[in-house]
Amino acid sequence: MLALGFFSFVVPWALAGLASIPIIWWILRITPPAPQRLIFPPVRLLLNLLNREESAAKAPLWLLLLRILLVICVILGAAHPLLNAADELKGEGPLILVVDNGWASAANWENRQNMLRGLIDQAERHERPVVILTTAPVGTKRGKPVVNILQAAEARRIVESLQPLPWSTQRKDILNSLSGNEALKQGKRGHVVWLSDGLSGPSSEDFVNALKKLGDVTVVRDSNEHTHVILRPPVPKGTGLNLTAVRPHGGGEATFNLQAFGQDGRALMRQTLAFTDGEKTTTVFIELPSELRNRLARFDIEGQSSAASHVLVDERWRRRPVGILDRDAGLSDQPLLSGHYYLKRALNPFTEVRTGSTEKLLGRQLAVLVLDDPGLIDPTERKKILDWVEVGGVLIRFAGPRLSQNKDAILPVKLRQGDRILGGALSWQKPAPLAPFDVNSPFNGLEIPKEIRVRRQVLAQPALDLPEKTWARLADGTPLVTAEKRKRGWVILVHTMANTGWSNLPLSGLFVDMLRRLVALSQGVVSKPGGPPLFPVLIMDGFGRLGSPAADVTAIAGVAFSKTVPSPKHPPGFYGQDTERRALNLSSLLPDIKPLAVSTDGIREDVYGDRHEVNLRPWLLGFALILAVIDLAVSLALRGLLSFATASGAFVILVLSSHTGWAQSTDAFAKKASLKTSIAYIETGIDKIDATSRSGLKMLSLNVERRTAAELGDPIAIDPAKDDLSFFPLIYWPVTGRYANPPPAAVVRLNEYLRSGGTILFDTRDYQTGQEAETMRRLASVLDIPPVQQFPANHVLSRSFYLMREFPGRVTGGQIWIERAGARVNDGVSSVIVGNHDWASAWAVDDSQQPLYPVIPGGERQRELSFRFGVNLVMYVLTGNYKADQVHAPAILERLGQ
Amino acid sequence: MAHPQLDTHHQAEELAAGLPPLLVAAERVATTVSQGVHGRRQVGQGESFWQYRHYDSADSAQLIDWRQSARSDHVYVRENEWEAAQSVWMWRDASNSMKYRSNDNLPTKMERADLLLLAMASLLLRGGEFVALLGSGKSPSTGRATLNQVATLFARDDTPHVSVPSYEPIARYARVVMISDFLSPLEELQSAIEAYSSQGVRGHVIQVLDPAEEALPFEGRIRFEGTEDEGDVLIGRAESVREDYQAILEQHNRGVKALCESAGWTFARHRTDHAPEAALLSLFMLLSQPVGS
Repeated sequence: MLALGFFSFVVPWALAGLASIPIIWWILRITPPAPQRLIFPPVRLLLNLLNREESAAKAPLWLLLLRILLVICVILGAAHPLLNAADELKGEGPLILVVDNGWASAANWENRQNMLRGLIDQAERHERPVVILTTAPVGTKRGKPVVNILQAAEARRIVESLQPLPWSTQRKDILNSLSGNEALKQGKRGHVVWLSDGLSGPSSEDFVNALKKLGDVTVVRDSNEHTHVILRPPVPKGTGLNLTAVRPHGGGEATFNLQAFGQDGRALMRQTLAFTDGEKTTTVFIELPSELRNRLARFDIEGQSSAASHVLVDERWRRRPVGILDRDAGLSDQPLLSGHYYLKRALNPFTEVRTGSTEKLLGRQLAVLVLDDPGLIDPTERKKILDWVEVGGVLIRFAGPRLSQNKDAILPVKLRQGDRILGGALSWQKPAPLAPFDVNSPFNGLEIPKEIRVRRQVLAQPALDLPEKTWARLADGTPLVTAEKRKRGWVILVHTMANTGWSNLPLSGLFVDMLRRLVALSQGVVSKPGGPPLFPVLIMDGFGRLGSPAADVTAIAGVAFSKTVPSPKHPPGFYGQDTERRALNLSSLLPDIKPLAVSTDGIREDVYGDRHEVNLRPWLLGFALILAVIDLAVSLALRGLLSFATASGAFVILVLSSHTGWAQSTDAFAKKASLKTSIAYIETGIDKIDATSRSGLKMLSLNVERRTAAELGDPIAIDPAKDDLSFFPLIYWPVTGRYANPPPAAVVRLNEYLRSGGTILFDTRDYQTGQEAETMRRLASVLDIPPVQQFPANHVLSRSFYLMREFPGRVTGGQIWIERAGARVNDGVSSVIVGNHDWASAWAVDDSQQPLYPVIPGGERQRELSFRFGVNLVMYVLTGNYKADQVHAPAILERLGQ
Repeated sequence: MAHPQLDTHHQAEELAAGLPPLLVAAERVATTVSQGVHGRRQVGQGESFWQYRHYDSADSAQLIDWRQSARSDHVYVRENEWEAAQSVWMWRDASNSMKYRSNDNLPTKMERADLLLLAMASLLLRGGEFVALLGSGKSPSTGRATLNQVATLFARDDTPHVSVPSYEPIARYARVVMISDFLSPLEELQSAIEAYSSQGVRGHVIQVLDPAEEALPFEGRIRFEGTEDEGDVLIGRAESVREDYQAILEQHNRGVKALCESAGWTFARHRTDHAPEAALLSLFMLLSQPVGS
């Protein structure tokens, strides 16, 4: 190897070839290019020309230089030049690469891989075998890693497929297999490169010493000391979350950005995370509105790509599932007047509301349980609820007629028998407003609307601790909300009903705010350990990205989940079911990290960096090849075999050939449909109906053109599964059983059409029989049809061109349905019109312009009216609601004073 | 048109359509020549009215012009003017050198020569003249069939591939039209022209050349090869001999022209990149004027 500054040559003797350049120069110079051959009839005249001296023509200078450059490139390429060549390998045995590929290696992975590639190139040049050992455990069996002595090409393949793994390294494991390998022991001493992740393990010193036995050791570590920061899972604190970040060094100030993301990947929050000088951990408190907090899916540190800097968030931190005990499963007589309805409406915005029996509700994780005067609670149920409250559940009870009869143990205070009615027929007292909240009350700070009146309540028996337990009271001092702490949970009683039976509190915004405060009181999901095994749902890779789990990832027993350390068997990620997921985070059980510290004697140290070897050989040879092609082209051109025009033409053809011949038919359809405004009809596949539609719409278009300023083209048959519908203002749809199940592609297009302002006229054509009503119902179930109403009097459609009262087709007397007014914006144009008058048949004519079908009951007047309906319809879809302004015409005229 | 030669035929007809029928200016048409359109100012066979004369007993009753006779007491016979035709012998070079073109956008010299010849023949035949192809062995004839015959001969490439027409005996006072590149040595040309001119035959010589043959626009090192086994010549820098070549070509052409003039013939030059109409018009003018006037 010959080194010249940054350059070095692997095969320096090849440079001797440079000496031959003058000879090549001379040879090229005296060899003229071959002459061009040309047929020329008056050659006899040329022969007569006096014979001039025929000196050998010389190759032009630039061609000469081109060829010499070509030769130089080939010679330099043969000498195999390297830029930034790495140091030479020590020893004579194999190159042993020990790669830390645990979570911490993700941070600088690209540089690690580049370094590996460079080392393998080096080994290949020196014809040394390579051993690659990864320190993170792989596979589900924690057997010994196998030591394989590889050729460079195989090693390169392995390196390309190496990935950082989202768990910790186990360096000890490979020590055993290294010391147990006979081939390494017997062979010559090699060169060991440890590509470390810069973190100290349980026995780093032993590890290095063991490596030293195999050969000279180089330890590579990260140059940037702030590379690793791990983020611990959040700890709830008050209404917010505490997040702790840990770094290996205590040195220097550093700031990072903490980011929170929702389930849809949208960023929810960004906050700085600052380490002060000498500090190893830092904690940041974040407070998110509960709506945002419920959408939380993960936290990470910006710029950190390791699995330990990503924290997945599950229900424990996020949602507050609230259960409402509902024994009759929503079968109440007046669902809109029940307390459940008010509670659901109030809780839904910021919690996940579930309803059901106690059994069902407590079977899943639950933060808050609401009892809306459920009546008798049997002892087993009561015990279940109390157990749940004691581990941290929040129970909110509302009073009601049933509670006032049946007192039980799940109450914060003792109640008096019966209830108290304020402002009744037998009472002097007026319904009472609320008193301001105490400072100690969780409701403190909420504004109390003046109009709130409580007419009826249950009363607590006076007791010493009653004032302490009271969180809200009426103006006369009687408690409205009382609460009692039971171990880790709360039992809260609201002394009135959850509906408007006893007070108008549930109608106010205060009700929602109070519930919000009460829910915030809960610690989140309370669940007992145990439960079914949790199956992997989404698994995190070494870079903190989520993906589908591999086949060898196994389920975690419910009991063991909180103690599970991420490993090949259980990588970090989401486990459980799709509906209820629990997050396994790498950082939750990770010990504090320490920087790698090993004694430096006898080992070399290196850092990862951008500086890596560049092999110039392929570039030089590639350039030489390009020059050779240019030379060939030039030689051909000089002999007249290749003209510039043909060469560039061939190139252009080559480039363009891949870009021709697509979207022909779509273009043709678009052109046809857009050059003139046309009405479209759905092709049903039944010839008779299609012919009627075509003829009828053609006649209608003709009439519209004749009577109005609108110019319509011929109607176009469409297949919504294939054709673009966006060109048509109106689609006529003769409803038949044959086309009752449009394919999914058609449904997508039709819904898009309806949403984007198109109008479809559904014609069931069945006034007498009503047989297509079922088909229409089926269509309505797949299509995005807005709510419709019976045709209202004075609708714009009845006066968009002609003033009309009814809209006969071939038949008359049926009902027309139209989108409910104000249901959509779309300029007031209904996106669907449904009728059964078989209009197309009334419009259709035969070849001699005679009507195809008789109208029922009959008369030319009816046919004329059917055309008028058609004209009105077309004007309605084309002009929108501007005729609707006519309702104001009298007022405007009046204002003008005329 | 599938056949290129038929195509030429049609092009020629189109080309000729722009000009009136051509009557060759014949100062002396032999009495022996066939009936034609050159009026002899005397009674004879022909189609134009010449005179009425009194009926003579020797006349056939069929000759009486009854309409004229009915106007007076005499019986008249209608006599037509004697009309005769001029024969034109045409020839064009069919040798390999004519199949040259320097550029794909140009016609070969042969195509242009065929076109000119057919257009000329078409004009002549419309004028009622007699036309024959020199070297085809056919005697002059008139009518549209003749044009087809000539075109068919061209199409079959059934004419001798010679650079100079060989002599064949033709009627005196006939006309000869020769179209060629006339790049053969002057001596050969001289003998051919003298053979005809000594018989009193008048002629017109048209030289068709490719623009590249005139200009020698090539550059660089080129090996020029002939078409008729003349050998080849390697020229190191074609641009250096351009002027010399142009001079020597000019000298040759002057030689051809001098040959023609000494025989009393006309000489015209045409380049394939010029419009054929120009060449046709000049030939038309030459043929419709008495030679030497």
